[in-house]
Amino acid sequence: MPVRLVIRTFSELCITVGAVIVLFVVYVLYWTGVKAADASDGEIHRLQDQWSRGRIELPAPGATASAAPPDATQEPQKSQAPQATRGAPTAPTTRSAPAASAGTEPARRPARSTAPAARPPAYRDGKPFAVMYVPRFGRAWDWPVLEGTGVNTLKKGLGHYPGTAALGGRGNFAVAGHRRTYGDPFKDVPLLRPGDAVVLTDGASWFTYRVDRRAYRTVPTDIGVIDPVPEKSGFRVPGRYLTLTTCEPEWGSSHRLIVWARLEATRPVTDGKPPALRS
Amino acid sequence: MYGWIWRRLPGNAWVRAVISLVLILAVVYVLFQYVFPWAEPLLPFGDVTVDGASAGAGAGREEGAAR
Repeated sequence: MPVRLVIRTFSELCITVGAVIVLFVVYVLYWTGVKAADASDGEIHRLQDQWSRGRIELPAPGATASAAPPDATQEPQKSQAPQATRGAPTAPTTRSAPAASAGTEPARRPARSTAPAARPPAYRDGKPFAVMYVPRFGRAWDWPVLEGTGVNTLKKGLGHYPGTAALGGRGNFAVAGHRRTYGDPFKDVPLLRPGDAVVLTDGASWFTYRVDRRAYRTVPTDIGVIDPVPEKSGFRVPGRYLTLTTCEPEWGSSHRLIVWARLEATRPVTDGKPPALRS
Repeated sequence: MYGWIWRRLPGNAWVRAVISLVLILAVVYVLFQYVFPWAEPLLPFGDVTVDGASAGAGAGREEGAAR
């Protein structure tokens, strides 16, 4: 009898372990995506809420502090005067201000070289400060960019490497994201082609980066890829660059995939969406 | 094991079945809420940064390492 009991208990344990493993696979493949979608939507909503109320946590590079009074957000008319001094990204108004095109032609301006040097603004660790759009990944693809690359930060969105340049700033704005699990934000990174747009907004400006070359595969210790001028990127002079990092292979961690882009255009949000997002 | 639990449950077969279902759901909840979130970072899917370490160690080591 005891033999039978031992065998039965052992069998039941095996079945239990198998069930737990199946549940874990469900968790990793499905549930992390649900959680990440929830969390990232929450972060984006928080950002947009914050932006629509005119409280902005960081100045856009080159933005003048006196852009517009914080109460002008609901009345685009009032911000006409500051807009006349074109070039300064005005304060965060609504995303598609109807009066935006009145004073400014929607020109693609190259990044201004007179902007102050990239000193990372006070991004707060674990807090979102921008939203990224990549048309190549689909129209619905939008992810918040949070400060820091900690495990818990990357569960909620993309993570900005602390110590790298600010968004749109001089240097290298480096961002890490999950390739798989937690919503698979960077699953399609290998599909990026030279010329593809990577668009970000911090509530005051749109930043359009253009991918420079196809994804570069490297090892995890290759920290030079997020240097201000990454040696292997083909960039030679200091500029305003963007680096995306994710894991390679998709479910592994032996390598990393790197995509470099350079800033092509900056425009205030009052000018409407950049051309890359309008197609 | 399961037979032993079944025999310990009170009530008739229906009540036992309901209690079993509740117990199973409780176990699944604990797994999804506490056990799996702990176990998931041990897998390599989260290693997406370049710093030569796991993603979790990234933030602190970054500044010294990035040149």
